[in-house]
Amino acid sequence: MNGHVPFGVADYFWDEASSRQSLLDHLMETFRGWGYGDVIPPMFEFDSTLSAQYDDRLRSGMYRFLDRDGSTLSLRPEFTTSVARLVGARLHDRPMPQRFCYGGSVFRYLEPQAGRQREFWQVGGELIGAPSPAADAEILALTATALKAAGLKGFRLIVGHIGYYRSLLEALALSPQQTEQLQWALERKSEPILDDFLRDTPLRTGQRQAVETLPQMVGGNVDGILSLAERHIQNRGMHAALQNLRRIVDALLGYDILDSLIIDLTEIRNLGYYTGISFEAIAPGLGTAVASGGRYDDLVGRFGPSQPAVGAALGVDRLLVAQRQDGAEGRRRQAALALPHGDPDALAQVQKLRQAGLHIQVDVNNRTVDSAIAYAAETDVRDVLVWEDGFQHHRRNGQGDFVPLGQLDESRLPGWTEARREEPSK
Amino acid sequence: MSSSVAAPYRGPADTFEQSQPAAAGGRSEQSLLFALPKGRLAQDSLFFLARAGLSIPTGTESRKLILPAADGSTGFVMSKPRDVPTYVEHGAADLGICGLDVLRETDRAVYEPLLLPFGHCRLSVAGPADGAAVPPGESGDSDDLAVKPASSSNLPGTPLRYMSQPRIATEYPRLTRRFFAERGVNAEIITLGGSVELGPILGLSDLIVDVVQTGTTLRMNGLVEIRTILESQAALVVNRASYQLKAAEINRIVERMRLLTT
Repeated sequence: MNGHVPFGVADYFWDEASSRQSLLDHLMETFRGWGYGDVIPPMFEFDSTLSAQYDDRLRSGMYRFLDRDGSTLSLRPEFTTSVARLVGARLHDRPMPQRFCYGGSVFRYLEPQAGRQREFWQVGGELIGAPSPAADAEILALTATALKAAGLKGFRLIVGHIGYYRSLLEALALSPQQTEQLQWALERKSEPILDDFLRDTPLRTGQRQAVETLPQMVGGNVDGILSLAERHIQNRGMHAALQNLRRIVDALLGYDILDSLIIDLTEIRNLGYYTGISFEAIAPGLGTAVASGGRYDDLVGRFGPSQPAVGAALGVDRLLVAQRQDGAEGRRRQAALALPHGDPDALAQVQKLRQAGLHIQVDVNNRTVDSAIAYAAETDVRDVLVWEDGFQHHRRNGQGDFVPLGQLDESRLPGWTEARREEPSK
Repeated sequence: MSSSVAAPYRGPADTFEQSQPAAAGGRSEQSLLFALPKGRLAQDSLFFLARAGLSIPTGTESRKLILPAADGSTGFVMSKPRDVPTYVEHGAADLGICGLDVLRETDRAVYEPLLLPFGHCRLSVAGPADGAAVPPGESGDSDDLAVKPASSSNLPGTPLRYMSQPRIATEYPRLTRRFFAERGVNAEIITLGGSVELGPILGLSDLIVDVVQTGTTLRMNGLVEIRTILESQAALVVNRASYQLKAAEINRIVERMRLLTT
């Protein structure tokens, strides 16, 4: 037993664990506030369930193993497919739409990235059974709201529409190699590769212009970009995609997030199952996306009656990195330490205080007051309660010395009541 | 917060562009950080940036890790060439310059809007020229050291797929593995940190994969080029988030560089 953990997983403890857990709770609460109900899918499922719609990159990044009967299982690399399976296979006859939110760890066998191990945490929500732009708008706005709730500042939502690119590809009727070259050029935003593509690929004038102008379909001027894109429509699919985007933008009007919106019609990296808008959230100081999502109208139908769906997931680990960079990380106060000195009345009193929502740990090592205060000082405990016919309250002051405050006044202890009082002011 | 978003609208047909001073002023507190490669590309990169009319640091010989540009608009980190894509992917730097060889080898998720007109070289497979695998003077006793595969002796014309399991010394394991895998060859890759030409001389490897500029180093070590894996030159790389969040400043730089590349 060497006490090591495998590469890609981590222990979280102390403040890091509590801020992680409370961020998760806080984000989940945001989703619940919009009518999303909790769902807890299994940690592993049949590989065939999870991997069918992923692209090669994500598929090769899955943890797979054999069940004892020989079937191949995978650890979940995200939640969306599991939720789609649940609704498609089991809840398909319930009234639509159905809203679900989840939080927990997912697993990808990829190079650990900034603030992200191979086991990392997601919080997200899925809105299933609504094809309308209002549903896309809700998911975008909810993502922005959750990011704000996490304290993230200056973020942007980069919104693309896979329908625009897929329909353009249909119109161009390219060979697989040509498609790959165009895709590579767009994914890397590489002008030289796009130039090579245009030089090597015979295209009609209108088609050529549609490809040539693709690099300009990026930016915060939503209306300008959509108008420009509309001038290069090659078929009905491209038209439908742009019209859909316009309606989604219109549906966002009441939500006050238009300032954070950036359109990028060349953003085509995604999980492979998106059918409509897809988006990523980025923020200053974080090189990679903190949230992503999109519409996936074909996924639920793999498991049952087909249903349109749209959803988003936030990366808890990256949000924590952002909070740390901001210095906004709140230190959680340790529970008060009570010394009952073996008096049952003291424990009865502790129970009453706990019921009132206060956080109290009881000394079970028979410490003396001095020893308890030394322990409290080392473990960041601020309040020590010593039973002398009622609790005497000792509190650490700014200099680190514990000073007696006399008889206990409950309102001064850390706990839920205090947390509740602070909540509305956030 | 909203006023700081300039429309990152690109291209010459840009009719929506907001005035740049306003955009730049909106976030003067987050100026750009530029990662430049030390070594081979360093001087060319600085020279190119200066030619593009960008303010460059004075005194790059200083030991400071982050060098401010003369006008303070941009910071520069001089980093190991291989680290440039890593810095940029993670957003530690907003943009950077590195060779296409390094960019493809490291395979980082970055944008690469432009190729730059310097740092031209090629990534090549090389092997011992006939009878020249060992340095002169040692040929007598090192025949048993330098195990020469039969197939590498008549080099350029021989298909690589005839080699059953060549041992290849390289600083580019990813590109090497892919190149040979595409030809069905299961190469044994020996990753080194430099001086890979020594591989065949010491009998460590049958072939090498390395960057070639003039070919002098290869010739001096009795090696000849067999195949070209990649034509390389310098490239501009940009962090994916910065590309959108600092669009105005980055577009200004891309625009100026483009003038020199087309």
